[in-house]
Amino acid sequence: MINENNYETYFMSYIDNELNAAERAAVEAFVLTEPKYTEELALFEKTKLHASSNEFIEMEDKIFLYRFPEMQASLDPDFKNSLYKNEAPVRKILFTPNLMRASLAIAALFILFIGIQLFKTNTVIKEKASVVSTNISSTNSKQTQSTILPSNEVNASLNNSNAALVSSQPVNKKINATHNSLNESSTTSKIDVEKYSTKNLINSNIISSVESQALSLIKLHEAQIVSNSMETASNEETKNTNLMPTTYKEIDTEEEDRTINIGMLEIDGAAFRGITRRVSALLKRNKIEKEK
Amino acid sequence: MLIEPSFIHEQLSMTDLEFNICVDDYSDGVYRFILKISKNKEDARDIVQTAFEKLWVNREKVETLKAKSYLFTVAYHLMIDQLRKENKIVMTDSFDENANAITQGSSELKQLLLAAINNLNPTQKSLILLKDYEGYSYQEIGEIMQLSESQVKVYLIRARLILKNKLTHLEKMSA
Repeated sequence: MINENNYETYFMSYIDNELNAAERAAVEAFVLTEPKYTEELALFEKTKLHASSNEFIEMEDKIFLYRFPEMQASLDPDFKNSLYKNEAPVRKILFTPNLMRASLAIAALFILFIGIQLFKTNTVIKEKASVVSTNISSTNSKQTQSTILPSNEVNASLNNSNAALVSSQPVNKKINATHNSLNESSTTSKIDVEKYSTKNLINSNIISSVESQALSLIKLHEAQIVSNSMETASNEETKNTNLMPTTYKEIDTEEEDRTINIGMLEIDGAAFRGITRRVSALLKRNKIEKEK
Repeated sequence: MLIEPSFIHEQLSMTDLEFNICVDDYSDGVYRFILKISKNKEDARDIVQTAFEKLWVNREKVETLKAKSYLFTVAYHLMIDQLRKENKIVMTDSFDENANAITQGSSELKQLLLAAINNLNPTQKSLILLKDYEGYSYQEIGEIMQLSESQVKVYLIRARLILKNKLTHLEKMSA
């Protein structure tokens, strides 16, 4: 109900026509109770703008708001479709020119680096070869000295070595038996064998020390003697026959020579050579095919 | 940000003729409403144009009978956005002392009232204009301005009290 505390709300609703008939009657009755409320209601009514007092302002350019049938005109869909442009599929460029240049530069640097490393390793090998040749010359001189030694001394040394190495084998007994007879005939051949073995040793690039050469000499000599003894056992008449020169393959036992060092990388030389051989073979094959 | 009013429903599309009738009936009213608050003819024209474009775009969703409310709603929110961009929304409690100078030559009370309304903030001004000039109910004003009915009532009573106080003050001054 309307009272002293809420009469303003009721007055506003009254002038805004938001009250029902009963509420309107209540407000009108309340206003009559005191004259100050009549003044208050009159003031509230003054705050209301009357629609009739609203000055008529017409919007300019109203014509642009209207819709005309021409505005909805549209092209024939088929004709519209013919206007579309089909874009050609765009190729994705994997290597942009800058990237291509950069990768080529890196590849060139890498190849240059490998080339330098290979050049360095070649020079090292050559240096080693020269060192070995000097050793060979020294060993040759030693060998010549040993050939100058009397045959008895050679035989004695050989006997001693044979006795030590081949004493356990029964065949060696025969060797010992026939050794004396062979000594004379084989002295020359022994020297040949020694020379031959030293040659092999030189070629193999293994030995830089004289001790290892001596060991191999003994082994070779032993093998020679074994072959000789076999021959004597089978046929004594072949005593005078010349010893056949044996061939030895070059075995690269040095790990350093087989590896190629590129900076911190160590590449297996054999594998690298194999790859290069394959690549060159492929290139050759391609070349031939192209020529065909 | 404009929230789609609740009176948007799926129904038959508004025809060109119906739309043009709406232009005839409501464009001036919306224009006046915006112009009285924004005080800028260009802005008011742009806002009205945008409001009618939106009505055309949503012609399949807006009932023809509620097109007026829709237009006022869209226009009101566009105007508020525009005022926010220009930082023109300021709560003005101080009365413009120059109001008297503007209002010379016509009904004194009406001009005093218009001057007092001009010093209200946009929300209060919008409430007064929508209620007095357009005759919307509290509920409809709530829908247009995205306010509850009680909020409309409270804001409107505050606006009227401000106007009443200023009118009494001006009357005393003139007396």
